[in-house]
Amino acid sequence: MKLKKVFSLGAVALVSASVLAACSSGKSNSSSSASKQVINWEESAEIPTMDLSKATDVTSFNQLGNVEEGLYRLGEHDKVENALATSTKVSKDGKTWTFTLRKSKWSDGTPLTAKDFVYSWQRTVNPKTASEYSYLFEGIHNATEISAGKAPVSSLGIKAEGDYKLVVTLDKRLPYFKLLMGFPLFFPQQQKAVEKYGSKYGTASKYMVYNGPFVQKGWTGSNLSWKLVKNNNYWDKSAVKLKAINYTVQKTPSTAYNLYQSNKLDAVVLDSQQTKNLKSHAGFTLRDTAATFYLQFNERNKAFKNADLRRAISMSINRKALGNALGGSNTPATSLTAKGVVNHDGQDWADVVGDKEFNQYNPSEAKKYYKKALKELGLKSLSFSILSDDTDSGQKTTETLQSQLEENLSGLKVSVANVPFKTRLSRSTNGNFDIVVSGWSADFADPISFVDLFTSKNANNNGKWANAKYDQLIADSKSTGDDAKRWSDLKEAEQILLKDQGISPLYYKTEAWLVRPSIKGIIYNGAGLNYNFKSAYVAK
Amino acid sequence: MTKYLLKRIFYMILTLFLVATITFFLMKFMPGSPYANEEKLTPQQIHIMNEQYGLNKPLIVQYLLYLGGMLHGDFGTSFQYSNQPVSSLIAARLGASVQLGLQALIVGVILGVIIGSIAAMKQGTWVDSTATVIAIIGKSVPNFVLAVLLQYYIGLKLGWFSIAGWGEFSQTILPTIALSVGPLAETARFIRTSMVDTLSSDYIELGRAKGLSRMEVIRKHAMRNSFIPLVTLIGPYAVALMTGSMVIENIFNIPGIGEQFVKSILTNDYPTIMGVTMVYCIGLVVILLITDIIYGLIDPRIRLAGGEQ
Repeated sequence: MKLKKVFSLGAVALVSASVLAACSSGKSNSSSSASKQVINWEESAEIPTMDLSKATDVTSFNQLGNVEEGLYRLGEHDKVENALATSTKVSKDGKTWTFTLRKSKWSDGTPLTAKDFVYSWQRTVNPKTASEYSYLFEGIHNATEISAGKAPVSSLGIKAEGDYKLVVTLDKRLPYFKLLMGFPLFFPQQQKAVEKYGSKYGTASKYMVYNGPFVQKGWTGSNLSWKLVKNNNYWDKSAVKLKAINYTVQKTPSTAYNLYQSNKLDAVVLDSQQTKNLKSHAGFTLRDTAATFYLQFNERNKAFKNADLRRAISMSINRKALGNALGGSNTPATSLTAKGVVNHDGQDWADVVGDKEFNQYNPSEAKKYYKKALKELGLKSLSFSILSDDTDSGQKTTETLQSQLEENLSGLKVSVANVPFKTRLSRSTNGNFDIVVSGWSADFADPISFVDLFTSKNANNNGKWANAKYDQLIADSKSTGDDAKRWSDLKEAEQILLKDQGISPLYYKTEAWLVRPSIKGIIYNGAGLNYNFKSAYVAK
Repeated sequence: MTKYLLKRIFYMILTLFLVATITFFLMKFMPGSPYANEEKLTPQQIHIMNEQYGLNKPLIVQYLLYLGGMLHGDFGTSFQYSNQPVSSLIAARLGASVQLGLQALIVGVILGVIIGSIAAMKQGTWVDSTATVIAIIGKSVPNFVLAVLLQYYIGLKLGWFSIAGWGEFSQTILPTIALSVGPLAETARFIRTSMVDTLSSDYIELGRAKGLSRMEVIRKHAMRNSFIPLVTLIGPYAVALMTGSMVIENIFNIPGIGEQFVKSILTNDYPTIMGVTMVYCIGLVVILLITDIIYGLIDPRIRLAGGEQ
């Protein structure tokens, strides 16, 4: 069935490509006129839930981020802006945060108070809720113990002092704490609504209560279209210019583009063929998704314990060619932290830590390292397998890597295994692979969201790469109160990882979109909440 | 007849039970957990979640609990759609697939019968060859290729029908055409062969010799007899069409069950996999039973009770 699906989708892409080639560049007569202030947006999947304690996916978080409001709202480049919080006080040790809240209302007219935050957070960490994202509360007093069922929910480090003051206690300094507060998982929930709707809460638009710039209408649980309408009870409603956002789920890029051309849609995600064809089209937009794809080497296998072999493999990979094979919009990666996620001192963190030595295509150096590695290992030749997903891009990745490696490293035999996503995950966790193509997307815009993965005890470190200095630097970065030291620790750690090729970055995932040029003011961030439509509008 | 029916119903229940059992255990052999965010969860976190959902219980206990629930009409709640009962998820999605499937079946079979009959009557002429070519193309061009072409040329360029969407009848036209090509080709080939066969039978010759007109012989005798085998073909086809086509649903943005089923398998959404499998299976056994009954009714040569001599 899966194979059939892949084949069919491939064929759809092929046919749509030929159709695209035949078509002229579409004239865009905006359907979203300035007087109406209505836009038509696409989502690539259905909404699985509107219960913020249960949400795990991009679609849900994008909805929640626009219909709900937290302490902060993230602006351009993850800039933290006050939302429900009017002022924030942090204690000297960085462990006690006191927020003063503004007076605001839920969409049902009832006032929103600090208690709604306390209730929401306690509900999410409660093991009975079975939230798949509760690990992000780690560091907030007692959160981990509560999730594991070892402490009562009421012992969570969050208290309401009166109606408009919220005090949060942390177990340790969390340098990215403000960013988390802009993520829907930390937004308030109304106890009355959760209890009134019971198991139906968050399963349809009508079983919800809202406090954000918009309210949702018409989502019935698994349908493919719904809309967001301006919320008249929103505290900052004068800043909201859009009257409505009509959403439809689009699963076939050729359909979405047809709808765009006929003005039924104002924004579409492009597939690889469309990306190539529409690069110079007005409205072509590249979005950094805060995700990096990389190779993990299984160090349970003696050969991959050898850093020179890992370097040889890395230098044999032409990442630009790989990017082209995958459809052009992905950027070759030189770091683990994805491009466009963290901006530090005016510089993209990926450029600051990026490795230009071993993460560059350099076949002659690769051959030298390969010979050296074989000698060290006492081997004459080598063969291994690369594991990846059975998706179109997974298959193209393994095919490209196989041919590049075999071409550049003589005597090397590479086999490939493309398996379904869940199988790939379980084989990665169980260490049942030689080299695996993995991907990671940041939950919040901080390098720790990436580099934490490859400490020796981390469950996501599937290859079991271990480096004592690295572990120490990551631990130091978490405990230090000195901001400059923290950044230098993070930098040094990631550079160690890259120099040693504990993992080998392949590409940063970029999404190509076509967005109607008349739509302005959309805020996009790769990590956490992607789309913020609060200030979006249709220009004349 | 009653005895036959009871026996059939007993076998149907047995079939459903076996399918439920086999699917349940096979499904549990699939690697991974049903959690969407599995990639970022540690084994300890997964363990805690499993406890909440009862997934750490012995397999046989989970199986018995599931069977017990199913007997009470409780298919459980979906993992993909948090807190949504699988029964309401299927109810919301099945309608579109059934409607589209029926439309495609009706259009496909009627056109198929017409084309097939004409081809058989004009056997060996250019009409016959054209019909054969249509049938071969219909059989070999995948429906999604046709779907993309229809959508681009008729939906976008000519603007006659909606490009995609669901809710109005006009939006069902293009997907219906795309889906009907399969049954059309199949029916046309089938009817042609069957009719050519019948037309050369002795009783047709006899009818003609008795002085009946050609059209009368075809209408009264040839057609009826050629259609009997078609019943066998249409039954399973109806189930296949009504249970949805993932690719067609995705191309035309149709909220059908086909895509949900595939997605539930890919995400280890156990209750949804079981629910949809059982709905498919019930559909199939019921239609097979109906087919057999209709068979007996339209062709007296086939005895339902069979073998009682």
